[in-house]
Amino acid sequence: MNEIAKPAQRSRAAKWSRRGFIGAGVLAGGTLLIGVAVRPGNPVGKLGSLVAGGQGEQLINSWLKIDADNIVTAIVPHCEMGQGAHSVLAQMLADELDADWSLVRVMQAPADGSYVVTDTIRGFVAQGTLGAPDWLEPTWNGLFTRIGRLADGMITGGSSSVRTTGQHTMRIAGAAARQMLVGAAARAWGVPAAEITTAGSVLSHKASGRSAPYARFAAAAAEEDMPQTPALKAPGDYRLMGTDAPRTDIPAKVNGTASFGIDAVVTGQTMTYAAVRRAPVPGTRVAKMDASAAKAMPGVLQILNMGDFLAVVADSYWQAQQALNAITAEYTAPESSIRSSQDQFARFSAALDEAGEAGGKEVIALGDAKGAMAGAARKISADYQVPYLAHAPLEPMNATVWVRDGKCEIWTSTQVPLMARSAAAKALDISADDVTMHHPLLGGGFGRRLEVDYVIMAARIGQATGYPVKMIWSREEDTQKGLFRCADMSRFTGGLDARGRLVAYNNVFTQRNDPADACDCAFYDIPNKSIRVAEAELHLPFAAFRSVDHSQQAFFIESFIDEAAQAAGRDPLEFRLAMLGQSPRHKAVLEKAAAMAGWSTRPAAGRGRGIALTESFGTIVAEVVEVDMSSGKPRATNVWCAADPGFAMNPDGFRNQMEGGIVFGLTAALYGEISLRDGAVEQGNFHDYKLLRMDECPAIAVEIINGKHEKLGGAGEPGLPPVAPALANAIFAATAKRIRALPISKHFA
Amino acid sequence: MQPTAAFAMTGLALLLSACGSRAEAPVEQIVVRQPGAVAASAPVGAPDAGDPVAAGKVAFAACAACHSAAPGAASGIGPNLHGVVGRAAGSAPGFSYSPAISKSGITWTERELDTFLANPAAKVPGTSMAAGQVTDAPRRAAIIAYLASLKD
Ligand code: HEC
Repeated sequence: MNEIAKPAQRSRAAKWSRRGFIGAGVLAGGTLLIGVAVRPGNPVGKLGSLVAGGQGEQLINSWLKIDADNIVTAIVPHCEMGQGAHSVLAQMLADELDADWSLVRVMQAPADGSYVVTDTIRGFVAQGTLGAPDWLEPTWNGLFTRIGRLADGMITGGSSSVRTTGQHTMRIAGAAARQMLVGAAARAWGVPAAEITTAGSVLSHKASGRSAPYARFAAAAAEEDMPQTPALKAPGDYRLMGTDAPRTDIPAKVNGTASFGIDAVVTGQTMTYAAVRRAPVPGTRVAKMDASAAKAMPGVLQILNMGDFLAVVADSYWQAQQALNAITAEYTAPESSIRSSQDQFARFSAALDEAGEAGGKEVIALGDAKGAMAGAARKISADYQVPYLAHAPLEPMNATVWVRDGKCEIWTSTQVPLMARSAAAKALDISADDVTMHHPLLGGGFGRRLEVDYVIMAARIGQATGYPVKMIWSREEDTQKGLFRCADMSRFTGGLDARGRLVAYNNVFTQRNDPADACDCAFYDIPNKSIRVAEAELHLPFAAFRSVDHSQQAFFIESFIDEAAQAAGRDPLEFRLAMLGQSPRHKAVLEKAAAMAGWSTRPAAGRGRGIALTESFGTIVAEVVEVDMSSGKPRATNVWCAADPGFAMNPDGFRNQMEGGIVFGLTAALYGEISLRDGAVEQGNFHDYKLLRMDECPAIAVEIINGKHEKLGGAGEPGLPPVAPALANAIFAATAKRIRALPISKHFA
Repeated sequence: MQPTAAFAMTGLALLLSACGSRAEAPVEQIVVRQPGAVAASAPVGAPDAGDPVAAGKVAFAACAACHSAAPGAASGIGPNLHGVVGRAAGSAPGFSYSPAISKSGITWTERELDTFLANPAAKVPGTSMAAGQVTDAPRRAAIIAYLASLKD
C-alpha cells in the first residue's frame, strides 16, 4: 500500500475548487492522483488510500491509474450486473486517453462518497443532455450535488452509466490524463506539445523519432498544469468508441473465476450461514415462534426471532434452511383489507371510476381534451391492466456481514453500495465510516438491488451473532417476500376526427413512480391530451423494475394507439407514421423496424405482426413481433428491433442489451404474474413463476441508428417496453383478439 | 414538452425513501453453540468445523461436479482423486489428461496441490481444469487434508 502524503506535500497541480471538475494530488513517492468530481474539498488522500495498489503503480486520477507495465486501470463507480457498464465506461476513457485496449483493466470503485454518481442523479432529470438545460444550471453544483450525497447517490440505474458517468467523467478523465502525459513528455524531450502524438498507450515525437510508453511519464505528469476542460474527441476521431471492443468482464464469467456477492468468503474465519423467513403478508410480524424441533437439528448455531422475520444460523446454508422449515410460527393480523388479486384490481378500478373524465392528479394537459372529445366523430375507450411482477434475479438476495467492535464489514451484490452502507450503519447505530462495503459483481439486478432491505436484515443478524454470517434467501423467499413491480390499471378514451386522426386523448392510471414522462407519448402529434394519475393503495411494496413505469405504460399506450388505428381503419404502421411529423428520429426508427420485418408483405397463415414504438431513457426503440397462432397458443417467432440511442458506444454491447430487454419483456408479457391469496404471494419458484425458455426464444434482429451523437440514450432498459404491446398487437393481427390484461398466456390457457 | 421541477423530484424521492431505519433487537435469541465448537451431541455426519478433514469433505462439494474420490470410482470430467496425494500428476488410470498435466513432472505433494488449487492455470499453463480455483487458503488446506485422508 502506498502511503498518503500530507496535503503540504501536494504538487502545484492540486487545486480542487468548487467549479473545478478536475483536481490532482500526489501520493508519497511521487505517485500522481487526479480526480474528476463535482464536489468541493480535496479528497485525494482518502481516495488514494482506497484505490492505491502495489509498488510502482501510478494513480493518474481517481478514475484511472497506470502501472509500471503500462497497464491502465479504469476505476468505475458503477456496478456490473451483466449490462456491460464496466467495460464500455473503460472503453470511453481509453479512447480519450489513446490507450491500447488490450492493456486496459477495470476496477470497481470503492464505496466511498467521493465516487458519488452525481451525474446519474442529474441524468434522471436532464435526460442525458450533454450540457445542462438552462433551467437546471443554477442548481447543478448546489442542489444536485447535495441531493446526490443525501441519497447516497452512487447508484447504477436509469440506464445512465454511459450517458452520464461515461460522458461527463470517464471521457474527461481520459482526455485530461492524456494531455498531462503529453505535457510531461514535451518538457522532457524539449519539443512542443503539439508535435507529440499518442496512440496505443505510447507517446511519440515523429521529427526526433522518440517514443515512450505512458508509464514512463506517469509521475512527471503530476507536475503538469491540469486542463480543467480538456478537449474531447469529435466522433470522427473516435478510435474505440463506436467499436465492438471486447468486453473485459466476459473471460472471468466464462471460466468461472468471476466473483459474485453470493461467493463472498470471510478469509480466515469459520463461515456460518443464515436462512430467513419473513412474515407472509406485508406489514405483519411474528407473533409466536416454536423452534423446539429446529433447535435439535444438525448444524444449528442460533435461532433468532427478529420480530419482523425469523432466522436460523447454521454451519451450512442447507442446514439453516432445513431447520428454518421446521420452525412453526404465528403472525399478526394484516391491516390491509386487500386479500386477493381481485381485491387489488377492484381498488384500482374504484380509483379510476372516482377520477372519472377529469379527476385525479394532472400530469399532462395539452390543448382542450374535453372539447376535442365532445367534437370527435368517433370515440373509443379501453381499460388495461398489468399484474405485480417479481424481478427474479438468478442470484437470490444475499449478504455476508461481520459485525464486531462497533464496526461492520459487508459483502453484497447491490446497485447502491453507498445507500446500503448508510442503511446498515443506521440499523446498527454506528457511523457510516465504520461500515466497510465490498460489492462484487451482481448476478442480476433489474432494480431489485436498488433496495437495501436484505442488507439491513443481514446486518441485524450479524449484530446478534457477532461472528461472520452469510444470509441467503431461498428462491421462495425471494419470489414472495421482496419488493415488486407494481400492478396497475389504466383507462383510456380517445376521439377520432372525421378523417380518422386521433385528436383527443384522455388517460388515467393508478401508479406513477419513475421516469416522470413514462406515461406520455410526446413524440406523437396528438393535439389534445389529458393524462392523470388516480392513486390507489398497493398491497405489495414497490421496487423499480427494468424500465420502471415504461414496463407497464408502454403496454397501455401502444395497445391503445393500436386500437385507435383499428377504429380509424388504418394500418397500424401508417397510423403511427402519420403522427410523427414533428419527430423525424422516431419516424426513422419506426420505418427501419418495419422494413426489417418486411411489414408490407403478408405473414404466413396463422401468423400476425404487431408493432410498437417507445422512447425511454433517451433511446428510441421500435419493435415488430411476429406471432404464430397456429397451435392455438401464441409463439413469438421473430422480433425485429430498431433503436436510436444517439450513438452506440459499443454496438455489440448495445445490441446485447436490446436482446436482453426483449427476452426479459417477453417473459413478463407472456408469463409474468405475482398474484395474491390471503394477502400473501401465491408463486414461489420457477415452476409457477416461469421465465422464457430457450426453445421459446424468438429470432431477434437488432439494428442501430446513430441519430444524434451529442445526446446519448441508455441501453439497459429501453429494449423492454415495446415488446409487450408489439406482441399483443401481433396477436390481434392474427386472431382479432385484443389482449387488455397481462400476462398473455392466461388468455390461452 | 419541458418537464417541470415537480417532475424532476419523483425519481429522487424514490431514492431517499429507501434508506434504512434504526433496527430493533431480536425478540428471542436461542444460542445452540458457537461456530467451530463441537455440538454437545454431534449429529451423525454433521461436519465439525474444527476438523479440517471434515471441513474439507464439505468444501470438496465444489470439486465433486467433476471429480469422484471414492476408491475405484470412474473418472468424470476430471480424474478420480482417490489417493492423489503423493501420486504423479496425470497418472489416474484411463483418464485422458491434457499434455500440460501429463508432461508437468509434478508429484502431488500437499504443497504442490496448494499452489495448483490456488491458481490451476498459473501452476500448469494449458491444463484443461477450467474451474476449481480455491482462493481462500484455509479452505484449500482443508480440501487437501481431506484428499490426504483418502488412502486405501
Ligand atoms: C469443471 C470441472 C472441474 C472442477 C470443478 C474441478 N476440477 Fe480438478 N480437474 C479437472 C480436469 C478436467 C482435470 C484434468 C486436467 C488436465 O488434464 O489438464 C483436473 C485435474 C485435477 C487434479 C490433477 C489430478 C491428477 O491426477 O493429476 C487435481 C489434484 C484436481 N483436479 C483437484 C481439484 C479440486 C481439489 C477441485 C475442487 C476444489 C477440482 N479439481 C475441481 C476438472 C475439474
